[in-house]
Amino acid sequence: MLRRTLMSTGAAALVFAGLGLPSSAQMAEEITEPVTVTFYSYNLATAGQRNDATMEMLNKFMEDNPLITVEPIGAPSNEILSRVQADIVAGQQPDVAQLVFRDLIYAAHDLGAEALEDLAKDELAQHSEGMVENGLELGRVDGKTYGLAYTFSTPVMFINKDIFREAGLDPQTPPRTWEEVKAAGIAIQKNTNYHGFFPGAFGPIDGTFVYQSIVMSNGGRVREGNKLTFADDGAADAVAMLRDLRDSGAYADIDVAAHMDTFSAGKLGMFLFTSAVQNSFSNAAEGNFEMDVVAMPSFGDKPTAPTNSGSALYVLSKDPVQQRAAWELMKFLTSKYAYTQITSKIGYLPLRLDIVNDPKYLKDWVEANPLIRPNLEQLERLTANVAFAGPNYRQVENMMKDAATAAVLGDDDPYEVLSAAQDEAQKLMPSDD
Amino acid sequence: MTIRFSPKGILTHGTMILLSLTAVVPICWMVVTSLRPATGIFEATLWPSEVTFDNYVYVFDAIPMLRMLWNTFVMASATAIAQVLTGLTAAYALTRWRFRGGKAVQALIALSWLVPFQVTMIPNYVLSTKLGLLNTITGLVLPNAAAAFAVLLLVNAMRSFPRQVIEAARMDDAGHWRILWQIIVPNLRAPLASLGVLAFISAWNEYFWPLLLIRRMDDAVVQIGLQMFMSQEGNQWGPLMAAATLASLPVLAIYLVLHRQIIESFMKSGIK
Repeated sequence: MLRRTLMSTGAAALVFAGLGLPSSAQMAEEITEPVTVTFYSYNLATAGQRNDATMEMLNKFMEDNPLITVEPIGAPSNEILSRVQADIVAGQQPDVAQLVFRDLIYAAHDLGAEALEDLAKDELAQHSEGMVENGLELGRVDGKTYGLAYTFSTPVMFINKDIFREAGLDPQTPPRTWEEVKAAGIAIQKNTNYHGFFPGAFGPIDGTFVYQSIVMSNGGRVREGNKLTFADDGAADAVAMLRDLRDSGAYADIDVAAHMDTFSAGKLGMFLFTSAVQNSFSNAAEGNFEMDVVAMPSFGDKPTAPTNSGSALYVLSKDPVQQRAAWELMKFLTSKYAYTQITSKIGYLPLRLDIVNDPKYLKDWVEANPLIRPNLEQLERLTANVAFAGPNYRQVENMMKDAATAAVLGDDDPYEVLSAAQDEAQKLMPSDD
Repeated sequence: MTIRFSPKGILTHGTMILLSLTAVVPICWMVVTSLRPATGIFEATLWPSEVTFDNYVYVFDAIPMLRMLWNTFVMASATAIAQVLTGLTAAYALTRWRFRGGKAVQALIALSWLVPFQVTMIPNYVLSTKLGLLNTITGLVLPNAAAAFAVLLLVNAMRSFPRQVIEAARMDDAGHWRILWQIIVPNLRAPLASLGVLAFISAWNEYFWPLLLIRRMDDAVVQIGLQMFMSQEGNQWGPLMAAATLASLPVLAIYLVLHRQIIESFMKSGIK
């Protein structure tokens, strides 16, 4: 952790020191000579299907665009921003980068990502036709589109049906509200040797989107403008609800760093986390337990506000020809063909819903994999993940996450814990002036 | 022959057995997990219900493992050799030659030990890029070619070397080069071997510098390969353990070859 912080800080310091970003130029109309663009992606830093599917898409792109060569550069998701920063400092200007949503405002304001309305003008509107409007909203800052949602998903609840049966619960009627989750969790805890419910919101694995989904489903927000609000009514009440789950015994008392492994091992009844892990859970469940996937629970009758995990694509090129090549790559990676590959081979959601029922694209796959349905249905209520602004955005997010963790898993009053953290974190937010 | 058990002996041996198990069990668990099938990866048994080499096959299929092992071996060997050579010559200069500022130089070298590599990593990266060392083993080795630890370790070893032997060589008209290579080095085999092994292991385990400098998978080192089986969306435990087992073998082999010198070196420094 220290190493990673040092790496990020060092790179960020040099970027801020004014080694600077050249101003944008007008994107070239077309490509007439061979050009090479770099593509920074964390899917390329994994072994297996994510890497293979991404390379397959890049190879097809190069086949379709023989004048453009893509140089793939992989780095793990929590280190890719440092990698991009270091390359900017070293004069190796990245062209297209896949960054997680928490970096959205930083990418727009400090990293020199291009606003697509300015870069691609009418071509953006043309390319956006058929895309989910809520999905396009995910990459907007101050009304402009800096990122196009690439690999993203929403939180869904994974159910171990065998544990439900053993606890005397009916797996055909899984919990739909938090009240029902509490009741089912207590039943599992009392009647079996397994754990009840766990939200993948806390711990070393990034789960802020799960936390934000719960908060926003209760009408809360983590910030309004530059004012932090994660200790205010709706948000704090949502955290207090999780604390109540824990105090009741419904909340699993497990290692927060091993929640995925606990579910994969068949020891957890309900797990709220990104649908991106669905393939891996399906493999773990095969021959061991029966798994189901349902929508995230709601607060009574309030509609849920599932927010997104995952990443968006950004154009960082400064050279007009590179920009054209980068934009062409970005269009290709968010096309009907690419979302078909991303959904069927990697496990994320398609930003183009018209391909779901199209036999040329996802129809057959969706019919063969009905567990994707709850996730697709949640797209209608998709609510953009809230990123933080300013150079301390990661610190602020960590303080919020640590406070929520302490409020749920600690012994102190959750409202007081959140309030104290909010006061401290507010000092790191940019002022409104 | 009768074996006598004393309470002190039982306590001593019991402690040693416990410490040995603490060291050995994680390694055994790694190997055993690498042999488990995907559906039995979370079994808590000491031996898999079904032994499979699928994880090893998958590792060689998913990443260029052999190429990565070779790159890492070349990089770690070159780093270890460079650190031993620079440490040896610097230590000789600091112990045999009296020059103005000699103590200040030694103090500066010692202070540089306190600066973590991560602090200088970005400037090193900018420089390496300008020198055209991206994606090269030379770029990986160069910033680690000299180490304060190596210099200080060998300074201590040379200070305890009998001065009379060197004086006798001087009287026989031996130059510094000859004294260093024909008299000192053969007698410092143990600290040199232990330094070499420690430098090799440290370079073998290096992650962030290769992550920054290397862009192509074929040029990457094995620690990057191991990371590829870990992600925010879950770890591929079977292949990860198989890759970790493969990555441990070269280090283990080198330790087995040089373990006598290493133990001798540690024992001597302990006696001092």
